[in-house]
Amino acid sequence: MFDFFKPGSWFSNPAPQLQKNKEFFLEFDQGRPLAEYSFVVCDTELTGLNRKKDELISIGALRITDLQIDLSSMFHHFIQPRDLAHTEATLVHRITPEQLEGAEPIEEILPKFVEYIHGSLLVGHNLPLDMHFLNKAARKVMGGTLSNPGIDTMRMAQGYKRVRLGHYHEHNPREISYNLDDLGREYGLPVFKPHDALEDALQTAYLFLYFIKKFRKGGLVTLKDIFQSGRVGSF
Amino acid sequence: MSQDADVHAVAPEMAVAFFRDILPFNGLDDATLNDLARHCRVDFYPKGTRLLTAGETEITHLFLIQRGGVKAFIEDDQGEITLKDFRGEGAYIGALGIIRGTLANLNIETVEDTFCFLLPREIFLKLVEEKPSFAHYYLKSFSEKIVKTAYRELRHHKLSKRSGDDLYLFSVKVGDLVKTLRKVSGADSIQEAASLMTEFRVGCLLVHDSADEHNIVGIVTDRDLRSKVVAAGLNYSLPVMEIMSGPVQTVLSQALCFDVLLKMMSTSIHHLAVERRGQIIGVVTSHDIMLLQGHSPYYLFKEIRGQQKIVGLYSLAQKIPEVIRGLIKEGAKAGNITQMIAILNDHILERMLTLLEQDLGPPPLPYCWLLMGSEGRREQTFKTDQDNAILYADPADDTEKETAEIYFKEFAARAIDHLVNCGYPLCPGEIMATNPKWCQPLSVWKGYFANWIGAPDPAELLNATIFFDFRSGFGDASLARELRKHLNHEAQKKDIFLFHLARQCMSTRVPLSFFKSFIVDKDGAHKNQLDIKRQGLTPFVNFARVLALKHGINETNTLARLKALFDADFISRDIWASTNDAYELQMQQRLIHQLRQIEEGTLPDNHINPEQLSELDRRMLKDAFTVIERLYSVLDKMYPTA
Repeated sequence: MFDFFKPGSWFSNPAPQLQKNKEFFLEFDQGRPLAEYSFVVCDTELTGLNRKKDELISIGALRITDLQIDLSSMFHHFIQPRDLAHTEATLVHRITPEQLEGAEPIEEILPKFVEYIHGSLLVGHNLPLDMHFLNKAARKVMGGTLSNPGIDTMRMAQGYKRVRLGHYHEHNPREISYNLDDLGREYGLPVFKPHDALEDALQTAYLFLYFIKKFRKGGLVTLKDIFQSGRVGSF
Repeated sequence: MSQDADVHAVAPEMAVAFFRDILPFNGLDDATLNDLARHCRVDFYPKGTRLLTAGETEITHLFLIQRGGVKAFIEDDQGEITLKDFRGEGAYIGALGIIRGTLANLNIETVEDTFCFLLPREIFLKLVEEKPSFAHYYLKSFSEKIVKTAYRELRHHKLSKRSGDDLYLFSVKVGDLVKTLRKVSGADSIQEAASLMTEFRVGCLLVHDSADEHNIVGIVTDRDLRSKVVAAGLNYSLPVMEIMSGPVQTVLSQALCFDVLLKMMSTSIHHLAVERRGQIIGVVTSHDIMLLQGHSPYYLFKEIRGQQKIVGLYSLAQKIPEVIRGLIKEGAKAGNITQMIAILNDHILERMLTLLEQDLGPPPLPYCWLLMGSEGRREQTFKTDQDNAILYADPADDTEKETAEIYFKEFAARAIDHLVNCGYPLCPGEIMATNPKWCQPLSVWKGYFANWIGAPDPAELLNATIFFDFRSGFGDASLARELRKHLNHEAQKKDIFLFHLARQCMSTRVPLSFFKSFIVDKDGAHKNQLDIKRQGLTPFVNFARVLALKHGINETNTLARLKALFDADFISRDIWASTNDAYELQMQQRLIHQLRQIEEGTLPDNHINPEQLSELDRRMLKDAFTVIERLYSVLDKMYPTA
């Protein structure tokens, strides 16, 4: 509150939700057993893949506690983009312009999302892409970035395959798909509707559970262990 | 963490879709399914993960297999594994444990990488509670096997453990007890037979046809040698055929010792030939079975038979619950148990009245000690009020009449007194032989029945029903048979009587409300107690009685009446089977309830406290009660009011 009146602090200070989150992760212990952490698996849908121009139009997320997916508190919101005309990706997402028109803008949704992920580790498939757009929006509407450590299931998949196939195994890396749906099929997971933020988040969550529990048999029991396999660089 | 209301609003479509596809969830409406899905969690178990361990894991949620599969198996003390089941996608794990409130009863391990929805235990129980179809689905699939498990649970968990009282009556077959077959030709002399018995150190020999050694024609025992030969001064060189008992009574080799024991006790034949595939393979004696275990019904039976003083019977009668307790633990069904209780009580009575006759001198007229009500139906449990009467032959003249009245009055007074000392409480309704009204000659008894049947006053009929279940307990059974014949003859003539009886039967309300809620009164007492005898069992007893009287069936035991009705095609197999099961289940519940009270040192009663019942007990009782409604509709069709 006092910051508000300090000259020059108005723009440079991040929103309280971001502040709180940052403080939480300052003293974060990575050495505890996995089951003690809370994870939020998320996926975003975008107007397009242009990192500069495109915007978030949907966020889907769900929590994993006790290493189980909690279906009681899922997060799923459409977001009204600033540029409604620029929605070339809607054919892919099957999100109609009407749905977006009726949705709340990012200023409303993002603080809810930040609140939702407080204290949790973020998990996503090709998470850096989602983080780019989330942080871009966070800087704009909340004056800061997310402090949550992230785990990329795509990197985990690479690690898992490396372990399974062996370092010296001859194979053409281009033949291996790390596409979310392909991985789901490959490992015999239940398959979800692609290109819906919540369904993709669910698919990612199943993949994440699959990896950590399969890895656990190999002795990877703490968050640190898992981090080595799917860590996403600092944002 | 504060949670936005929006956060909960999202319905996990894939979970809803999953539930919509599987039984019995597919019968639920969308709102319920959405709510269910929101309460679920998803977990992943790599191949080879142990989900449940029998006897150890407390089941906190129902597992529903979304992807993958599991195997169910049991493991014995030696580590021997028996595979019970494979379950795949859409199947559930843990329902029985949750409903029954017990630990896991099987080991469950994933055989593939498996994803499960986890539905919390409370949510599942609420569904079972609220949706009848739902409960039905799970209970139905529990099948006979599971119901047997439930019986075992009833026996083992509800009775306190005592060591060293394991009985083998229900696991050992007589074929396993048989020793080498010893036999002698019928043409051989008595002396030759006796020396063979000495040589083989056995108490009996089978006797075969002198022309065909495979044709067993009789049996000779130590007792025959003693009473028929030595005591009678018979010539030892006579052929053994002269003193043998024949034809020999047989049992099948696969018969359980329990059944054989029942046969020995009810026929008083202590040596039975054992038959396997049409061949006699040897003899089983009461001694062999006694050796099997020390504290057996037979042991008690023998003590009763050998008792020379009436006061000696007092303590023996008190041992009956202990013997019955062993039987329940060993796995006897209610039908067997009540049969055993009846046999033991009958022997106490027989011994007592025999000794009493010796004290008072022989009766002036043939008589029959009648047993009424549950005793008449051989359905006593531990709480057995006396319900008895004396029926004696019609006196020829006034002098005989007077002598009889004096004798039987004294006889009854003493007998009732002794019975009280044995632990059989007095009948509050004074239906006892000491009541002059119920100590009468045959002609008076016939008059009573003719009166009840001919001019039925519903109020009086209510009190009279227990008389219709009379049987002979001791004495001249032909008197009881004649009275029964008279009764059947009268009853079948008078439909109005059966009509009243049927209507009366239907007036007992089905106690389904018992299950709706367990309300506690303001003062803390349970107003919702179940009288399992009056509300649960009596409708079955009444139903069987009405139909038995209608069709002239002599049996008095409810299960025997039902069987006879089914055999003669008066009721369908379906009605018979479900009635039989429902009745036996309730008898079992009642026996266990009373046995526990005895062990706690309280007086046995019929009031079951719902809190003592597991979820499965309640379900099974509820199912049993729904059978009552079916019986009522059968009666209603037979005796419509309009």
